[in-house]
Amino acid sequence: MDPPLINESSFSAANPSAYSLAEIWPFPVNSASAIGEPTAGLGLRIANFGQIMGQFADSSANRDVSVDESTVTEQSGSRGGGRKRRDVSSEDESSKIVSTSSGSGMNASNGKRMKISRTPDENGGSKAELEASSVAGEKPAEESKPAEQSKQDYIHVRARRGQATDSHSLAERARREKISERMKILQDLVPGCNKVIGKALVLDEIINYIQSLQRQVEFLSMKLEAVNSRMNHTVEGFPLKDLGVQTFDAAAMIYGSQATREYAQGSQPEWLHMQVGGSIERAS
Amino acid sequence: MTSNRVFFNTSSRKARCARRFLQSLLRIRQRRPGSLSSEEVRQRSRRIKMAAYSSMACTVGSRRAWSRAIIFRLQSRAGRHGRMRRRCLGVKKKPSREMSQADRLRDLVPGGEALDFCNLLEETAHYIKCLSSQVEIMKSIADIYCRS
Repeated sequence: MDPPLINESSFSAANPSAYSLAEIWPFPVNSASAIGEPTAGLGLRIANFGQIMGQFADSSANRDVSVDESTVTEQSGSRGGGRKRRDVSSEDESSKIVSTSSGSGMNASNGKRMKISRTPDENGGSKAELEASSVAGEKPAEESKPAEQSKQDYIHVRARRGQATDSHSLAERARREKISERMKILQDLVPGCNKVIGKALVLDEIINYIQSLQRQVEFLSMKLEAVNSRMNHTVEGFPLKDLGVQTFDAAAMIYGSQATREYAQGSQPEWLHMQVGGSIERAS
Repeated sequence: MTSNRVFFNTSSRKARCARRFLQSLLRIRQRRPGSLSSEEVRQRSRRIKMAAYSSMACTVGSRRAWSRAIIFRLQSRAGRHGRMRRRCLGVKKKPSREMSQADRLRDLVPGGEALDFCNLLEETAHYIKCLSSQVEIMKSIADIYCRS
């Protein structure tokens, strides 16, 4: 539709030329619409176009006439458009080479550019089709390939990160990490547990260690009971200060051996001494 | 005494635990008149064991599940003021083969029955720390008494 519009605009711009033609042929242009004449008129108008532009620019007073003649120009324009359409149709119907040649020969219009751009595709035959097909073949391939890749990546990422995408498995993984972390802490706590490999064996070691500690507590309580009762009897015969000094020394020795421990520190012996001494004082 | 006070202020959990335990030992010692029947010896040793666990738990406070469980048991027992049940502290029922290790651990760690495995391990770690320090305290006290 662009060429007719251009034609109309050109004809409207060429109205003075139409006016000049209308002066020459008042009615035949309107009624007797032979194909050859308008084409000739068109040719005249087109030929006069460049000259008349200046007239049109000059003659603004001719507009009244040009309004009357606008019908003529419109008709001629429509005819021109029809002819051009016919040309286009003939170009479409006839060989495309002609159309290309005419298209190449004619002024550049969008439709013809489109035509030209189309015709090589149609004329290009096997090569263009091959190219197109190859392009078309590549395109789906490319599309499918990235799709596959993205799918694979997606699946791969899912597979690799696995539980990270799922909230449940994420929580599960976090829990497992926590458990392994605490198992490590426990392994550090339980002596001789670092060499043990395997969760079950480590748990066995931990259980055995707790049991041994609890048994130790029981045994030590029995021992303390015996010592405590004996202490009750023997305290009376003991000089308190010697006892205090002795306990202090003993405590210093005991805790000195544990100085490497985090809570050994020098405070312990003195404090223990005081505590034991005080308790003994009170007991006596 | 000032130095002692400073030490008290900066005393670690172990020192506080030892102080508690010694105080309870003193109380146990004062309570007994002097009879030495085997039954009384056993009871006293149980009481000392209880004192050991309670000093441990009270030092930790109610922050931990195991210490809460021990304190609760001791309080409930103190209300009954009878003999302590064997199951409550220390030695418990024998672990059977079909029990899973986690269940055995739950049985061993006081208050671990209601914990999931993750928290159970945390409690176990803390419990082991406190228990081993308690054992050390008791050993050192026993050594001091034996030497004196």
